Amino acid sequence: MERVLLAAASPLDHVYQWTYQKIPVGTGDNIVTPGGQITLFSNHIIMQIIAVILLVLLIPRFVRIRESGDKVKDLTPGGFGNFIESICAYFRDTVARPLLQEHTDRFIPYIWTAFFYILIVNLLGLLPLEPLTRGLVKSIYPDAHHGIGGSATGNIWVTGTLAASTLLMIVVNGFRYNGLGYVKHFFQGPILIAPLIAVLEVIGVAAKCFALTVRLFANMVAGHVLLAVLMSFISLSYLALGAGAATGIGILVVLVSVAFNLLEIFVAFLQAFIFTFLTTLFIAQAVVIHHDHDDAHAEEQGERAAGAH
Amino acid sequence: MGYHDTKGLPPPSRWSVRKAGEAMTLNRIRTASCAALLGLLMVSPVLGSEGAGGETTLFTGDLGNIIWSLLTFAAVLFVLGKFAWGPILRALQKREDFIRNSLEQAKQDRDQAEARLKEYSDKLQAAQNEGTAIVQEARRDAEVVKRRIEEDAKGEADAIIERAKREIGIATDTAVKELYSLTAKLSTDVAARIIRKELDPAQHERLIAESIEELRVLEGKRNGKG
Repeated sequence: MERVLLAAASPLDHVYQWTYQKIPVGTGDNIVTPGGQITLFSNHIIMQIIAVILLVLLIPRFVRIRESGDKVKDLTPGGFGNFIESICAYFRDTVARPLLQEHTDRFIPYIWTAFFYILIVNLLGLLPLEPLTRGLVKSIYPDAHHGIGGSATGNIWVTGTLAASTLLMIVVNGFRYNGLGYVKHFFQGPILIAPLIAVLEVIGVAAKCFALTVRLFANMVAGHVLLAVLMSFISLSYLALGAGAATGIGILVVLVSVAFNLLEIFVAFLQAFIFTFLTTLFIAQAVVIHHDHDDAHAEEQGERAAGAH
Repeated sequence: MGYHDTKGLPPPSRWSVRKAGEAMTLNRIRTASCAALLGLLMVSPVLGSEGAGGETTLFTGDLGNIIWSLLTFAAVLFVLGKFAWGPILRALQKREDFIRNSLEQAKQDRDQAEARLKEYSDKLQAAQNEGTAIVQEARRDAEVVKRRIEEDAKGEADAIIERAKREIGIATDTAVKELYSLTAKLSTDVAARIIRKELDPAQHERLIAESIEELRVLEGKRNGKG
């Protein structure tokens, strides 16, 4: 029994964060610095760094606007740059503009960054890098359990940080564009229950960001776990039923896991989109406040919004 | 979710019954797989720790992850903001402006062209009308001139004929009067001569011949004059 379990390993091995190196930071043992240490390098961190390098190297190269002087040619993107630009244009015109209205171009760089960052991290997680890099990692960190690989977005600390960043964007920009109007818009309804509603609203904002954290994390983990479970059927069936049955099951499992991998590619795009879309929506809810209270600024904004429709 | 939805459906036909059955089966599969996953999640930390010899779990992580996430995200935001999003945003805005301007320009041009077309067709119509009017007027004028010329000519001819008739009349009258007076004079002369030289017949003869000769000369003179 023990052999079976060892051979099959844990289906969660692929989604865990495997720490390579920790450094002491001189704090006590608490949840953010367990044992007074923080992680310096791990498989997830290195995946994030790879994502940054890819994004920084590739995207500017592909979207460089040709300054040929030809008015029409400069405005017509081609090749891979066109792919990136159409995604950007979609987010700007279809997702952001109806929500953020005149603030669209102010927030669109953040929105685009969130989408591409999450997307690349999601997609990199689908690459089977771990077996390939295990030797390399072991040569540097002999105690390392795993090579580089896995989705950093399958790490709740990463998704939590991204969601916290969204929360920061919501609150900071709520105050920046509406001042005290932002606080005021939490207090709705009759005067007696307004404070109660405000409490609920504040909890709601936090809950939205917590939902962002968990949604991305759970989706990424689930896909990987599913694939790992599927794969584990091969070794399990080999140990339990022998080579013949394992071959048959193996073929089936490979076919099914190919299908699931395709699904995972879709999910990688979908979750990146959902995270980004919701981030846009939440920022818009804080920035573009329009309901009828007697604040002149809000009224003006409401009129502008009505004019835009 | 699917179960409650199908349960809430009004009168179930055979089709919807089958669909409901499918949904229930699907739901059961879903529930089972969720349970299995949850079970795995609960067992796996134990397995994981056995394998790794540490306390690695699904939620392993610390401040380091937060810092690295912020750093990497900020790096992407900064670098792409500078080298990718800026140019893309500018290009999108430029294209938007370009399209808007082109459309506006096209609309303006079309309106202008339409206005000009209308103007030109109006002008053409006016010119045609004017031309027709000119031709008609000219024809009318020509008619008038023609009639006047005809009338003038006719009047003049009539006048000439009238004058000729009058002159002929006058000439005739003059001639008759002259003839009368000449005849009278001649008669008187002849009578006087006859009275004077009655006696000599030879003379008489001569006188007559002379008178006739005289008359003939006169007549010849008169004819030469006429």
